[in-house]
Amino acid sequence: MNNNSMSVIVRTVTRFMYGLIILFGFYVIMHGHLTPGGGFQGGAVVASAFALLLVAFGSAGLKGQLNLHWLQSIEEFGALAFLGLAFLGIGTAFFYNLFANSGGFLFGASVPTGSNAGVLTAGGLVPLMNWAVGLKVMTGIAAVVIVMLVGSHKEETE
Amino acid sequence: MIVQSILHVVVLVLIVIGAALAVWFKDLLSSVLALAAASLLVSLEFYMLQAPDVAIAEAAIGAALTTAIYVIAIRRTARKEEE
Amino acid sequence: MRKAILFVAFLFVGAFLLLGVADMRPFGEPQMAVMDDYYIQNAQPEVAVNNAVTAVVFDYRGFDTLGEATVLFAAVVGVLGLFRKLREDER
Repeated sequence: MNNNSMSVIVRTVTRFMYGLIILFGFYVIMHGHLTPGGGFQGGAVVASAFALLLVAFGSAGLKGQLNLHWLQSIEEFGALAFLGLAFLGIGTAFFYNLFANSGGFLFGASVPTGSNAGVLTAGGLVPLMNWAVGLKVMTGIAAVVIVMLVGSHKEETE
Repeated sequence: MIVQSILHVVVLVLIVIGAALAVWFKDLLSSVLALAAASLLVSLEFYMLQAPDVAIAEAAIGAALTTAIYVIAIRRTARKEEE
Repeated sequence: MRKAILFVAFLFVGAFLLLGVADMRPFGEPQMAVMDDYYIQNAQPEVAVNNAVTAVVFDYRGFDTLGEATVLFAAVVGVLGLFRKLREDER
């Protein structure tokens, strides 16, 4: 039980599972406009993989691999990207979906009405906002968990 | 239809039992695990009510992230509840 | 004494919940279905998105998502600021 890490069973299962959880989270973000889920849900899934890693391996397991400044920068980039994408359609209205059904190459395709399999390159600003919110949520929650684990390290060593 | 209703009732009763156990336990780690189980059952109930978006969010936030944060907090503080 | 007060409060809240249950509508029948029908009919032609919930969250009700993102940002900044002193002491 040194180094704050959990037992060998937890560590082995974590080593096997965290890649799959991160992959599922990115799938949820990427297909947010087609399948259930979206930026917030996918980001929370990815952040839960980071939290699993931190709980299983302790603060030493991530030392130097996830930089807190990078996480903060990506989180602020996500927030500003979301706001900027919302401002793109300010000519009509705030949060106006500028690219939907425009026929352009950036998610401009149209979707047939009724139940269908969905078009990955459709949706206008919605997939871009999914990515912005997903990046924001995953890095924000990961930064919170890391800072709670590493930042409260001092009292324990005393 | 009747099977679905029975399943709803069973899941809802299990949610209430999990929440009551989370209050009742004196060991805080057991309490957190009971809360995680109740949260996972809430997520299952959302899925059965055909709200998969909310189910994914509840499973990720309620069952995984809050449990991790509580486990970290319990590791830093006391494990037993004081009277 | 304290337990008696808690019990009375419990009975009070429980009575209100039971009163609310008494005139509940049947399950799965919303009172106002106009807005739901609009979203279901127009999410695909207008927003070009198959997932109507995402269309509501990021297009029709974008302000709600902006507020939620602001709340999350404030929470992250608050936690980072709370633990900053400890991290600087550690250095």
